[in-house]
Amino acid sequence: MRRFLDVTGAVAWRTIHHFLTQPSILVPSLLFPLFFFTAFSGALSGVEAIPGFDFPSGYAAFQFAFVMLQASAFGGVFAGFSIAADFESGFTRRLMLASPDRRGILAGYAVAALFRAVVVWVMLIVVALLVGMQIDGGALDLVGLYTLAALVNVTGLLFSAGVATRLRTMQAGPAMQMPVFLLLFLAPVYMPLELLEGWIHTAARLNPMTPLLELSRDFISGQPADLWAYAVVLTMFAVLALWALTGLRRAERAGG
Amino acid sequence: MTDTNLGIAVHELHKQFKDGPKAVDGISLAVAPGEIYGFLGPNGAGKSTTVHILTTLLRPDGGYATVQGYDVVKQGAQVRASIGAALQEAALDPMLTGREHMRLQTALQGLPRSTRRPRGNELLERVGLIDAADRRVGSYSGGMKRRLDLALALVHEPRVLFLDEPTTGLDPQSRSDLWREVSRLAREDGVTVFLTTQYLEEADVLADHVGIISRGRIVAEGTPEALKAEIGRPTLEVVPVDPADRQRFADVLARFGPAASSAKPSAVAVLLEDGADALASVIRGIDADSLRMDSFQVHKPTLDDVFLAKTGESFAQGDQGASASSEDESLQPAEAPA
Repeated sequence: MRRFLDVTGAVAWRTIHHFLTQPSILVPSLLFPLFFFTAFSGALSGVEAIPGFDFPSGYAAFQFAFVMLQASAFGGVFAGFSIAADFESGFTRRLMLASPDRRGILAGYAVAALFRAVVVWVMLIVVALLVGMQIDGGALDLVGLYTLAALVNVTGLLFSAGVATRLRTMQAGPAMQMPVFLLLFLAPVYMPLELLEGWIHTAARLNPMTPLLELSRDFISGQPADLWAYAVVLTMFAVLALWALTGLRRAERAGG
Repeated sequence: MTDTNLGIAVHELHKQFKDGPKAVDGISLAVAPGEIYGFLGPNGAGKSTTVHILTTLLRPDGGYATVQGYDVVKQGAQVRASIGAALQEAALDPMLTGREHMRLQTALQGLPRSTRRPRGNELLERVGLIDAADRRVGSYSGGMKRRLDLALALVHEPRVLFLDEPTTGLDPQSRSDLWREVSRLAREDGVTVFLTTQYLEEADVLADHVGIISRGRIVAEGTPEALKAEIGRPTLEVVPVDPADRQRFADVLARFGPAASSAKPSAVAVLLEDGADALASVIRGIDADSLRMDSFQVHKPTLDDVFLAKTGESFAQGDQGASASSEDESLQPAEAPA
């Protein structure tokens, strides 16, 4: 176990070091969620006036929940980019040669992805409070919200790690990004599910991201939460953990 | 010596890549502890594939191998704890400094926190990189990267060291520095070194034992001296002033031994049956036929001659012929020797 943690710590340190010391990684990670939050909550605030929109904490909080989940999911996906880049450059071989238990490598990337998400969460909440966003949920609700976001983050990482370990090239980028992008934006992003119509309503109703998004909105508005969404994310977590681990085994067989 | 007492033991190892020829085709070898084993062969011969199997990066299709007594398939974690490896393409992060690489590697290898920094500094000092330790590796020269890679392979004091073409692309000074350090590791620290190379001179200078590999098979094995002694006789190579005289030269030289191959197309070569003692007679024979020579050279047997004798092709030909015979190696462009 100690050696597993050694590897996890080393891999996490390097990935976090890159995140904090390379403006080309750090700045977009911080700016994009901020842009989405301010643009959506500002430009689309008129949605609040639509009959049937009854979110009690206001449109900024409604959007905040989405941007939180979006930043968390993409924080995980971007860690998958690092994995693919390391395969492409051959650096993964160094990690594989030094790791008694190579699952520690994946755990290291996951820790780094979580760190990255936490930095974005802190910045987002600070900005949200500065612009006067209303939070009606209590402390326990916020714990629930951030736990959900953390699970989404690691699930995103597991998905992209599974792709990266199978394709082992940066060209895998769109294959990591696109499915997550589609899942996120086919959820009720701009207005509640009940106000959507036609195929988009059907897609959103079937989308596993929808219950997660609705749960995070319940947390932030202090409404009674439908905790079964946790079962959804935990199922995704379990399935994608298997996906990532089998990808790792495949990469091991291919020689790293 | 049993497998558990050997640094490296390999029995009938096989590896074939999907839709490709056999990269490793029944290799067996044994390396004693503290020995430098030179694994010599042209590009694509199967050297890197063998190293990848022995370092647990690849699984063999058949046969088995042990490193420090641990099975490379069943005891991968123990093997990895016992070995250091500097592979063909130095796996370095251009955005990290030399010192940060040391920090990463000492942590990956699980060194106690208190020893990580001193161990890193000691190794950076040893490979002459302490002054460049805080520079990003992206700005390092090829030689500096190789030295850093070697230092990283040594952080946990491995008992077996794998060096996959460690001097490819290095200038002569960097190459001799690296040779000196590898020799020291084996002689003073008792580290078993498995060194792949496509440079005959490197194997000759460094290795206690040499295995020559061609198209996935070991074609000759022994000490460099013993292998050269097998060939025994020196080769005489003559370049005529007038290329039209090649046949006449060949007729004269044929009296002194069988024809030999030469890397120079304009030369005529012969394996001297009576050794260097025949030289005076050869010159008299050429003079008697009034032939004029542009150059006249006697070659002691080299490992290239061994390769030629065992495979029927010169090392350079083997390189071309095998360049696409291994999936992994064919992807790695060969760098020109400095």
